[in-house]
Amino acid sequence: MLTTAVLAPLAGALALVGLRVGERAARWLAVAVSLVPLAAFLAAWAAFDSRSAEQFQLVTAVEWLPTVGVGYRVGVDGVALAVVGVTTVLFTAVIAFPADTRGRARPWYAWLLFLEGVCLGLFVALDLIVFYVFFDLSLVGMYFLISRWGHAGAEAAALKFFLYTLLGSLALLIGMIGLALAMDPITFDMRELIAAQPLAGAGHAVLVLVALLLGLGIKTPVVPFHTWLPAAHVEAPAPASALLAGVLLKMGAFGMIRIPLAMMRETFAAVAPVLGVVAVVSILYGAFVALGQGDIKRRIAYTSVTHMGYTVLGIAAAGGLLAGAEEARALALTGATIEMVAHGLITGALFLITGSLWERTADYAMDAYGGLADRVPRLTAATVVAAFASLGLPGLVGFVAEFQIFVGAFAVYPVLAAVGLLGVLVTAALFLQLLQRVFLGERSGYWDGLRDLDAAEQGSLGVLLALTVVLGVAPAPLLDVVDAGSTLLLGAAG
Amino acid sequence: MLWLLVGVPLLAGAVVWSAERWTRVAARRLVLGAFAVAGLLATLAVALWAAATDASAAHTVGGGLRLLADVAGPAAVIAVLVPVVGAPIVAYAAAQEPLDGLGRLLGLLTAFVGVMELLVVAADWLTLTVAFELTTGLSWALIAHEWRRTSAARAAAVAFNATRFGGLGLFLAAGASYAATGSLAFSDLPGVAGGLLDVLVAGVVLACAAKAAQLPFAPWLFAAMAGPTPVSALLHSSTMVAAGAYVLIRLQPALDRVAWFAPVVIAVGLVTAVAAGAVALLQAHAKRLLAASTSAQYGLMFVAVGAGYPAVAALHLVVHALVKAALFLAAGVAIRAVSSPMLGRMRLRRSLPATAALAAVASLGLAAVPPLGGGWSKEAIVAAAGGEAAWLALAVVVAGALSAAYATRFQLLAFGGSGGSGPPPPRPPLRTPTSTEQAAIGLLVAGSAALGLLWWRPAHELAARALGGEVPAGEPWQLAASLTVTVLAVYGVWALDRRRRLGHVGTEGRSAAAGAWLGLPAATRHLVVTPALASAAAVARFDDHVVEGGVRLVGAGARRTAGWLADGVEPRLDDVVAAVAAAGQALASASERGAERAVDGAVAAVAWLVDRAGADARRSHTGMVHHQFVVIAAGVVVVVAAVALGR
Repeated sequence: MLTTAVLAPLAGALALVGLRVGERAARWLAVAVSLVPLAAFLAAWAAFDSRSAEQFQLVTAVEWLPTVGVGYRVGVDGVALAVVGVTTVLFTAVIAFPADTRGRARPWYAWLLFLEGVCLGLFVALDLIVFYVFFDLSLVGMYFLISRWGHAGAEAAALKFFLYTLLGSLALLIGMIGLALAMDPITFDMRELIAAQPLAGAGHAVLVLVALLLGLGIKTPVVPFHTWLPAAHVEAPAPASALLAGVLLKMGAFGMIRIPLAMMRETFAAVAPVLGVVAVVSILYGAFVALGQGDIKRRIAYTSVTHMGYTVLGIAAAGGLLAGAEEARALALTGATIEMVAHGLITGALFLITGSLWERTADYAMDAYGGLADRVPRLTAATVVAAFASLGLPGLVGFVAEFQIFVGAFAVYPVLAAVGLLGVLVTAALFLQLLQRVFLGERSGYWDGLRDLDAAEQGSLGVLLALTVVLGVAPAPLLDVVDAGSTLLLGAAG
Repeated sequence: MLWLLVGVPLLAGAVVWSAERWTRVAARRLVLGAFAVAGLLATLAVALWAAATDASAAHTVGGGLRLLADVAGPAAVIAVLVPVVGAPIVAYAAAQEPLDGLGRLLGLLTAFVGVMELLVVAADWLTLTVAFELTTGLSWALIAHEWRRTSAARAAAVAFNATRFGGLGLFLAAGASYAATGSLAFSDLPGVAGGLLDVLVAGVVLACAAKAAQLPFAPWLFAAMAGPTPVSALLHSSTMVAAGAYVLIRLQPALDRVAWFAPVVIAVGLVTAVAAGAVALLQAHAKRLLAASTSAQYGLMFVAVGAGYPAVAALHLVVHALVKAALFLAAGVAIRAVSSPMLGRMRLRRSLPATAALAAVASLGLAAVPPLGGGWSKEAIVAAAGGEAAWLALAVVVAGALSAAYATRFQLLAFGGSGGSGPPPPRPPLRTPTSTEQAAIGLLVAGSAALGLLWWRPAHELAARALGGEVPAGEPWQLAASLTVTVLAVYGVWALDRRRRLGHVGTEGRSAAAGAWLGLPAATRHLVVTPALASAAAVARFDDHVVEGGVRLVGAGARRTAGWLADGVEPRLDDVVAAVAAAGQALASASERGAERAVDGAVAAVAWLVDRAGADARRSHTGMVHHQFVVIAAGVVVVVAAVALGR
């Protein structure tokens, strides 16, 4: 099931390279292919038993390089299943979203499908090398999407993105090898590593942990390793931005949960306060820098730093203690996972909205707009919902995540949680300012001809925003699965 | 079933908003208004049922979280109050507000009642936080209703940010509660102790002070005046602002376990009551005068809660809700009549005699003149304060005198006769209120007059019991002093008006500056907003130049290294290669040529790779991908080597 979800889009990508089809056909083919992982996810969701005491379910394992303990091993726990879900939904929405492919429709859709397979492969990986390979392949896919379909400065931004995150992945590889070498016999099997806690008490455990966190932190990104993010977002075409923020950033935070938190519990608990401080700095710094941006897309890009900061705070709190406050820590970890889902849906929608604006006006400057609300009511409504979701209004999924993270984190790091809360306030201020400047107030006649969202745009945005509402009002199906995962994750290692 | 209390108005709001599309313009006011009022009457029915049956409800959110609701303590009475006040207000709005966006306005007003009901019945921190934040969000939409005015949009953001800042206090309280007891339910609050209890109380006080427009947050209520009049009427009477006082009233038994709770709440309330009273006395803008008065009245409720009599605060909340809603609606009529919100241009007694008479009753209620209910609840607050200290009772008497003064001033300026003073009365054509508007005001005034029953001992004892509290036994001197001062204040303002001195207050000079919330909005702007925005811009520049600069420096260094390798090292490598090649050429046979080519090629490839990384973005990716696999291969080699060595 999971393997199908990974391989179907990769096969679809190959097929698109081989088949000579037109733009429309390519798009519909890609949409159809992207429905396969979505269906596979729904099947996996149905098959997943959140009451089971087994952490990883739907496991497939095939030996690959037995001498070094590398194998194709995939499976999911509650955390992974949630992230897989948002990945499949967001990819389908983005692929269906009308994009300017500049006459190169087949490679565009091929790269999107390639990226989907790679992302799903990472989230279901239960082997460090499989994880690493997909981690790096994602760079390749995103590099081409940005450099070939981006705006004017795309080549440089794409290269910066590539080099910077490659640096991160090298650090990650060193950390992984450090983990695997401590096993006897050597293995990259995540389940064995989680059970064994290989480096507990070892002198160089901190170095390994720092290497892992550096690698994953660059990808997340946390301040001060975030500067590749705005550059990449500003130059990337909007659908690529939506995927970069919505899915690729999750690889970093998801990796933190999967590798250091799960496999190096003792060392993680020692380093967690530092990670917590980094998270709070990311929250506040990201929010303030976002408030200082006049460019809509950069502003949204920096809010990703804030939101991923919430996630990292939740992860730090979850792993901050070896014993005690179990419920609160599970709550924080569940919140961190829900935040990944929420951020994927919401920021994905926000970036698609910037794409719709750019398609019409080729302008990202906030001050260029004003009073668009009655001219483009559907675009306005979509933005208002997405903005309020992003600033954490109850009834929308972002609030669920933030409430869990802050309430859970408070039990472990009360001061950090209290300071981090200010980020919620600044985020609110910056989104209200954006709404006010772009959509409210007086409209100049210049925008009289602006078109509202068309059916395809409404479809993609509608799905994403409907999910933010549904999961905000009735999050039970999502929460139960994720909560089972985080409880087992913290319990199994404790 | 208790969730119907929330669900009915939310659904009604959605129906009203969408009904705008399919109703004919001619029938729109009637249809939308009827839907909205019907929705609120249904809500009232549910509230009465809930109060009668002492209903409670629980809803599992998932992941161990639950939403809890009950009608314990003051909840039953307030749950009934909200739709009672809301229904006349939506009827008035349907009759008066512009057709453009009427569905949205009525829909949001109706939905607001539902969100407030959720807040009223909330029995755990999650439910309370959800409701609290939703009122903040909906208030943004309502204040920004006339969104084409930039000032309205900006004012909505001010209100949102101020009350959201307070809302963060509830997150803290929830965190503290959960950390202490592993539960979010109010029923587990007795288990919270120590430093966590201090955090919890501080969080709740912060949240309530911001929501109830107490100092230093009071000025957001001025900004909120950018919304339509019915919005102000609803927000100030029984919802938004009331939420701040209500939460304090409901949680008082849990909060009062901290020694500093009572003094802090009394201090905040008293300072706000006096300062806001002075501001109201000096305001020349009709709605702002009423807004300042709202802050002042909620300040008195804070004093009552701090003094240990939450039931008295709740009764004052009920009395104030009816009076203030009526006064805002009357002010709306006056503002529409003269097309200006400035009090100096009104004096509408002759033109709008019925509205003026209704407003007079409400104003007397605000002035706390017996036998109106407002008089009783204010005297009860004086008595409650007297239980703490005699000076506190006197301070409340002073605040009460200010209420009497500004209420009188409002009535004389807005609905007084020309009396030979002030500017000439406005000429026709005046816009006169429809019968719906009159009826709405009349209902609210009738309700507030009926509350005069509270002076009757069995009535107020029954009411206090219904609210789950008791009434303080005041001392005779307090009542005598309070009534004397109230009468003097009313007379003083009236006498001032006779000397034609009232109309000019607050329109210019120092009194105008003081009327603008004693300069607090400007101070907030200069001390908080502008520095925050400036620092955001500065941090953004810092991020672009310094943090990013560091990265760029590394990049530049790498490029320079690459350049050095390419220009300095590579030719030399080439020389070496050439030399080797030459030697090889000279010495080797044809079979050796293959190996030589491989070495040459590898060296050239490395040099090419280093060179391209810095210089040529376009072609480097192939190099980097290649690099990737080299790295993977290298990693595998390291691993294999390690295994080999380790065994």
